[in-house]
Amino acid sequence: MARAIVRGISVSTGFAIGKAVFVNRRHHAEVPRQSIAPGLVDAEEARLRAAFAGVEADLANARDRIPAELSEHRHILESHLMILKDPKLCGAAARHIRELGVNAEWALEKAVAELEQAFGQLDDLYIRERLQDVRVMGDRVMSRLIGAVRSELAVEGRVIIMAHDLTPADTVMLEVGKIMGFATAQGGKTSHTGIMARTLGIPALVGAGELEELVSDGDLVIIDGVGGRVLVDPDEDELAEFNELADQFEDYQRRIYRGCQLPAETIDGYRVQVLANIELIEEVAAVLDNGGEGIGLYRTEYSYLNRLDLPGEDELADKYSDLAAIMSPRKVIFRTLDLGADKFITSFGALDEANPAMGLRAIRFCMQHPELFKTQLKAIARASAYGNVSIMFPMISGLREVRRAKAKLREAQEELRAEGRRFNPDMPVGIMIELPAAVMMASMLAEEVDFFSIGTNDLIQYSLGIDRTNAHVSYLYQPLHPAVLRSIKHVVDAAHQAGIEASLCGEVASDPFCVPILMGMQIDCISLSPQAIPGIKRIIRQARMGECKALLRDVLACRTVGKINRLVRDTIFHKYPEELNFFASLLDNDDLGG
Amino acid sequence: MTETSETTDCEAAPADECVRQVLVANQLGLHARPASQIAREAQAFAASISLSGAGQTVDAKSILDVLTLAAGPGSSIEIRASGGDAEAAVEKIAQLFASRFGEK
Repeated sequence: MARAIVRGISVSTGFAIGKAVFVNRRHHAEVPRQSIAPGLVDAEEARLRAAFAGVEADLANARDRIPAELSEHRHILESHLMILKDPKLCGAAARHIRELGVNAEWALEKAVAELEQAFGQLDDLYIRERLQDVRVMGDRVMSRLIGAVRSELAVEGRVIIMAHDLTPADTVMLEVGKIMGFATAQGGKTSHTGIMARTLGIPALVGAGELEELVSDGDLVIIDGVGGRVLVDPDEDELAEFNELADQFEDYQRRIYRGCQLPAETIDGYRVQVLANIELIEEVAAVLDNGGEGIGLYRTEYSYLNRLDLPGEDELADKYSDLAAIMSPRKVIFRTLDLGADKFITSFGALDEANPAMGLRAIRFCMQHPELFKTQLKAIARASAYGNVSIMFPMISGLREVRRAKAKLREAQEELRAEGRRFNPDMPVGIMIELPAAVMMASMLAEEVDFFSIGTNDLIQYSLGIDRTNAHVSYLYQPLHPAVLRSIKHVVDAAHQAGIEASLCGEVASDPFCVPILMGMQIDCISLSPQAIPGIKRIIRQARMGECKALLRDVLACRTVGKINRLVRDTIFHKYPEELNFFASLLDNDDLGG
Repeated sequence: MTETSETTDCEAAPADECVRQVLVANQLGLHARPASQIAREAQAFAASISLSGAGQTVDAKSILDVLTLAAGPGSSIEIRASGGDAEAAVEKIAQLFASRFGEK
């Protein structure tokens, strides 16, 4: 038995065995206060300043090495550098050393605590973001002071990176070739660590709260990206077992990868389009490598985050046109800004909302900021001249909203026409179906648009009334709840009756055990993370439409989630035994629900 | 037409000290973007630089400090610097105000 097992949330599948290396352990209040003899105060202050200078040099170096396509990260590093030079941090700590005759560590801890006290109560998003920077920088300087840091990760052998949380500043400093996996104490499903790990094709866990208490630098650990756990000091049997699993997984991945450029067509000839969800343009390489047939969801928020100003029309149009041109003739669906709830533009700030998930977000936010919205609409319309571009609006709840959004788009297109710019006047316009209201209105909404894209993550959340990030109710997040399945089917049927395409994006689309049910509904198109595409294409290529339809019929006859999950297990798990070993299915979260 | 009534008073001040009054002429006042421009520019100088307005004095090199100086449009700010490059520092910071921090 391993000495300890730490549970976390898997954000990238696979298995890794290696030595734990901490990059930024969070230092809790354990810093002892030591008196410094008057004669040594100068030396102590010099030690503090050297630690600040060291971190500054690391960051400046990282900033200069950021590749152009990741330029968004530069803003984060610039902001960190500004905090490092803030006299309220370094200056205050130095003053404590001199005036109180204390050690640098304690002085630094005191300076950070004072800032948190002085500014922590202020209700200003930008100040709170800077305070977060203060904590991150305070930790980095502290690591240098106590000698627990490697500025550049010159690591021996193959390692597993452990951290309190990984910021873009950390990840640009890692030497990626030697990293076998990641585990962080903080972070959620959408954190930067997940994107990074999936891009590198290595397993990663986030939110492994006990990591820092139970794992030490140099410990031998296993990352189980399927089970969502870290095994600390595994025994011989566990090592053998995971070695074997890792080999099988590698072999399996090689096999699915070989077939990933083949069309996603069932044995009996039914074709599904398999598209990719992306957030950054540099993910395009992964989309094409993994057999993505287009971009089904381009999340456009990233260009707006972590910066103080707003992107202009030309900047966005350049970026969007590049994406359209690279993917052409393949489809690219741009989702207009989905801000609010958990992502905000710095210059607008967070609203004081009791319930942000139901607040001023997505299309509602855009309608309240018509200039911001029009800038993006014009940029997307301009990109339509360079490829196969579609646009879709998130969080639509009814007809009036979609008509107003379309009117805005026409306005943007008229302006482009007046400016003499090229665009495709017939660019397909779609909407996301993520609200139960939109499900009920599906047949009427279908008359207004060219396609539907069902956003299951939000649809499940709003239909079942649960916040999946809330640990008390997350067990109720059930993708195969009878109500959810009926909603999806209702939307697909309404789309087909109106003669438009029904597409689905959301985690369900990358779950090997949910996809056959979606196929039974005759979904036209699914969109998922690029790395999940080869596995899902393989599932589709091994399936028969007749079986999928029969499965759907049986599933719809079940009245409880528990029954549905058991049925899915019995009928399709045995058909795909390998996937059972290698995927943390959404269904694993079951048997508790009614 | 906004009048930038500036008064520079470097001669009358003690040696190495430089003071200037400026107006917050941009529409949004000293919020996130202007505040970080000020802190970034100020950090490049050796002189210590302070900003005063509405009975409050803050360190121009500290982004957190500058942010708490809730200076709305039209308010008056005193820039005060002392140290070797005090004059250049005041000039640079005053320029940011005069250019309305790049806002149109």
